[in-house]
Amino acid sequence: MKRLIQGKAFIARSERDYYNINKPIILVARNTHPDIVIAIKKIKAIVTEVDNRLCHAAIISREYGIPLLMGVENATKNFKTGDEVMVDFNSKTICKIK
Amino acid sequence: MKDLLKYTYLLDLKKISENTERLWERYQEILDDKKSTWEDLNEARAILFFLGHIFVEEIALGSLEKRVKFVRPAISLDNFLLAVDRKDAAVLKKYKNNKKFAKLRDFYLIVKGIKNRKKGEWYLDEKRFIKIYRKKQPRNYF
Repeated sequence: MKRLIQGKAFIARSERDYYNINKPIILVARNTHPDIVIAIKKIKAIVTEVDNRLCHAAIISREYGIPLLMGVENATKNFKTGDEVMVDFNSKTICKIK
Repeated sequence: MKDLLKYTYLLDLKKISENTERLWERYQEILDDKKSTWEDLNEARAILFFLGHIFVEEIALGSLEKRVKFVRPAISLDNFLLAVDRKDAAVLKKYKNNKKFAKLRDFYLIVKGIKNRKKGEWYLDEKRFIKIYRKKQPRNYF
């Protein structure tokens, strides 16, 4: 698995947001929703505020082999859709790079 | 909810499945009934929180963490979850005739069934619940 993933952040706050994903993004959400599957091929990585091995995002991440960073406090507040971000799976951090 | 916890302790998959369905049906019954009271809606709220969060993310996870240690050859919980979710042929073949592995896998699939349950627009029909709950909320609620 890639240890560093860079891309545009996409903040998902409701299930409807998944229908607006039309290019590769790094998904940032409190947790994910079953509707994530409609955009799954465009998701390079998932960042969530929740941290649990049986949360929906964890299951989806394992099923589809999508890198996942969990337990990022206030991720949906600290980033906004369109931010260029870098997810570092070694240090378990996400930061804005532009 | 007590029964679901009891049968999880016993790892009785049939009863676990029956009890989760019973809770889901009761939750739906409350949401469907226009005569549901504020007390009924708080029962629905309890079911939603128990089934959607406490059971799957606390109780079931704890049960899997504890029981996976009894599987031989040894496998970590992360590798177990990965093998089941990715349908990893090599790992599944290795444990093909392992009853403990199979039982934990089937338990996890029941839990996943809850996590992927969607009705209406939201996970566990939560949007409809919130709408009805707010509508019935007493003015003096605090």
